[in-house]
Amino acid sequence: MFHSTLTTFLLVVPLAVLTYAFDTFSEELLLKPLGNDHLYAHFQFATKWDTDPEQESFRHTHMFPRALGEIVARYNVQELHVSLTAGLWMYETWGYPIMDAAPGAELWVWFKEDTENVDKNWKELASSLSGLLCASLNFIDKTNSINPEYTFKPRGAVSSPTINSTFVRYSSLPREIVCTENLTPLKKLLPCEAKQGLGSLLNAGHIYNTRYHSMAIHMRPICRDSSCESVSLELQQSVSLVYDLLILEAKHWSFRKLFGQGVIGRCVLAETATIYVDTTNNESVPFQLKPDPDEYVTSFRGGYVHTYAKYDVQSYVMSLNANYLGKNKVVLNSPPAIYANQYITGYGQERGGIVTTIYNNHWSPLDVVFLQNIPWYVPIYLHTLKIDAGGVRIEPTRIHYIPGRQRERPYHLEVLVKLPARSITSLSIDFDYVFLKWQEYPPDANHGFYIGSAVVSTILPLARNYTGLPQDGSTISDSFNASRSGYLVQMRTESTVITLPTPDFSMPYNVICLACTVVALAFGPLHNITTKRLILIVKDNEHFIVKLKNKVVGIWTRRTSE
Amino acid sequence: MSRRARLLQAKDEPYETRTIISMYMLGIFIRFWLIYSKYQSIIGHHVEISTPLNSWKRVSEGLYVQSKGINPYEGDLIHEAPVILLLYRILTQTFYLPAEFLFLLVDSLTAVVLYFVAKKYMFHLFVFQEKQKGEYAQDSKEFILSGADFLNSPVFVMAAFLFNPYTIFNCVGLSTTVFHNFFLAIFLLFMLQGNPILAPIALAFSAVMSLYAGVLISPLFLYLYVIYKDKVRAYIALGVFTLTLVALTCFSYVLGSGSAFLKNVYGFILTVPDLQPNIGLFWYFFTEMFDHFRELFICSFQINATVLYLIPLSVKFRNDPFLLTTAVLFLVAIFKSYPCLGDIGFVMSLFPCFMHLFMYAQQGFLVGVIFLITSALGPILWHLWIYSNSANANFYFGVTLAFAIAEIFLVTDILFAYMKREFCLKYGSERKIDGKEAILMLE
Repeated sequence: MFHSTLTTFLLVVPLAVLTYAFDTFSEELLLKPLGNDHLYAHFQFATKWDTDPEQESFRHTHMFPRALGEIVARYNVQELHVSLTAGLWMYETWGYPIMDAAPGAELWVWFKEDTENVDKNWKELASSLSGLLCASLNFIDKTNSINPEYTFKPRGAVSSPTINSTFVRYSSLPREIVCTENLTPLKKLLPCEAKQGLGSLLNAGHIYNTRYHSMAIHMRPICRDSSCESVSLELQQSVSLVYDLLILEAKHWSFRKLFGQGVIGRCVLAETATIYVDTTNNESVPFQLKPDPDEYVTSFRGGYVHTYAKYDVQSYVMSLNANYLGKNKVVLNSPPAIYANQYITGYGQERGGIVTTIYNNHWSPLDVVFLQNIPWYVPIYLHTLKIDAGGVRIEPTRIHYIPGRQRERPYHLEVLVKLPARSITSLSIDFDYVFLKWQEYPPDANHGFYIGSAVVSTILPLARNYTGLPQDGSTISDSFNASRSGYLVQMRTESTVITLPTPDFSMPYNVICLACTVVALAFGPLHNITTKRLILIVKDNEHFIVKLKNKVVGIWTRRTSE
Repeated sequence: MSRRARLLQAKDEPYETRTIISMYMLGIFIRFWLIYSKYQSIIGHHVEISTPLNSWKRVSEGLYVQSKGINPYEGDLIHEAPVILLLYRILTQTFYLPAEFLFLLVDSLTAVVLYFVAKKYMFHLFVFQEKQKGEYAQDSKEFILSGADFLNSPVFVMAAFLFNPYTIFNCVGLSTTVFHNFFLAIFLLFMLQGNPILAPIALAFSAVMSLYAGVLISPLFLYLYVIYKDKVRAYIALGVFTLTLVALTCFSYVLGSGSAFLKNVYGFILTVPDLQPNIGLFWYFFTEMFDHFRELFICSFQINATVLYLIPLSVKFRNDPFLLTTAVLFLVAIFKSYPCLGDIGFVMSLFPCFMHLFMYAQQGFLVGVIFLITSALGPILWHLWIYSNSANANFYFGVTLAFAIAEIFLVTDILFAYMKREFCLKYGSERKIDGKEAILMLE
């Protein structure tokens, strides 16, 4: 008996180890000064698992978080992209982030092509993720989701060359407030959690003291090798932070200042654990790193050169300081090739307009796809869509428009437009303010209603200010020397708030009574007119008081006469 | 003796044709001036004038979306029936008529049609009076209408339509109620002429646009049945109406590529999903309604707007179906789900037909004052609520309530006046029983 158990054990354990030996985990941290006064910190945790996503049941996982795997398997998800963000990425001054994310919560998912009821799966997936990440993703349903036609293409490997956009869903919740309750579940999905490795820097007490913070989970199937005969599953978990050095009260930064502590050892499960510091601008704004980096890496990408100081995370507690040398210098900001803003026009609560301004600083025309998911309570008029570059009206290349329906479906507007070289293009569209039922207003009705960010996608020919990962890469190091024919950016604009006119919430009974009274005012006379006829009767023209007096006098005279 | 010669025996001179034409031109000029002025968009954006159901902005959106190959009934901005949308498309895109010109043209045509409507009705009234003269009381001679009464009423009707600010704003604000009113005017004309084919067809077009106009089939039936004493024609009219409605709906079904338009047009009118304020009673009532009572109250309000008064009024006023038509139109304009000033203005322009009732009306002053005050206060309080945030919804609601009350007083007053006049004609104006003072009472 004992012998057979032992044999089984001896046989099974190496088998299991063999089966799961094909997943790798790597963690990276990139620190990049943004201009003179901001510091960008991006944590990138990538898990690659050589398993067939079609066959995988997620009963046994190794590095891959099983909780997420079960959800993915259950709802037939092919690709999952979820981000929780507070603050707005300032493209104009900060360049492009490694991962774009809209303010609030954003979720976009590709379902596998054999999914029967995509809408049902989408709703349930959002609810499950809501539980997994402690976010209000459960508010995502048909009324605020669209299936983008051009903007969100699969990022990973696909089985068929034709892409059917009925299997993609996109939604954003701009009102979502992101905080520590979302960070803790994210840390739990990491193989070493926050106990060791770079995860230990995610110290909620410090990282929310930032101008911008965004956490994201991206899961997709990728090619296992260049022949792409088999696919692997890739999971990227990331945390992006932008520190305002003025808030840190010093130009010099250190791990202790940024995260409250140093790196507690190296995550033993990680194949690579690296810290990069962007030193490209070190000549104009010199700073000295302590300890000295293990090596400097130079990256030539899309016509631009970047240098990075590289540190391998060691098995002991590790910290990093940067001391700025010399006087404060003003660094001229060179804005990226393309960026966009969004705002609301008009005054009052009757009619307004949404305007998105797209700046093209590039020397050649750029094709962009503009996507807007406008909630149903902001009815837009397509015939008022005006695209205008410096006073010249531009005809869009293509418009994909699905009109919304009150309480059922948002307005989905996707515009393909060619921006002239060196131009400022504005897309404007008019909308009406709607009046909702009193129970449809949120508790703080005068806080306003959010319109989510627009997504402006384009392929840049040059990699100026570009830090994004290439499509075939999953780590920051993959983006070094990754020159490609184009660089995809999907910028998110500001989300905006409009204040819808409100009724008086204390009035229901009064209104019901008053309106019914008016109806009764018609009913009474009309009932009389139609059911009665006119007759003459003798007029009793004595006044009530006269009558009363006569009566009293009558009684009095009767009494006295008795 | 010809009809005209008999009418001309009256001592008051009727208006000259020249006067009528210059008045007509003035009415058109006012519209023309306003429609091309900067005030056009201000007027057109007022909620009292354009409702979700009749705003030209939504029609333009529908036509634009359609031209892009998208079914406009997929969204919920457009609430015009596909047939009517086709009509607008033909007029604006095939004939290249500018919208402003189109509205001017249709509104001025409506004025002409209304003139002939009133003329025809006055003739009916004259014939009726001649027939009944024998039954009238001795001292009721002063109540009998004279030639000038008959000849001038049509002029007054046209003037009331041309110079009523409500109809002017309706036309200038490009509300599609202009087309609805045009179909209604044609219906009235053919109804008075006793035409059993064209009247129901015109009515069916109105009904396809607004649904509520369908209730006017009852006065049409009565007109043919009671006034023209022609059962066959009355039933033909019923049949033609039903057939036209079915045909228009089927045509809409084909044009709107499916039944989506039913929900967008008639479902929208009946279930009131858009709660944008207007001059009616629905918007605030259903904004503040508790969800589990919504269906109950929607049903009762819709019944109230359509059939509740229709049957008793039809029975009571079967001898004067034109008065019945006016009363029913007015009640519908008060109680429909998305009323606008154009509806009220149209009905009010028919009132000069009943000038002989005005002396029996008692609340003219009150109603006039309320109309004046609410018409001024409405836009002011709207501005305070929506633009300056210093008032709230209750203020505007109060104004619409007062406006509705004035309308109700007006229509009930006219109906009472009709009853009183009938009484006076029959029993004389002497109100004495056995020498004692007596008063008129309803019993």
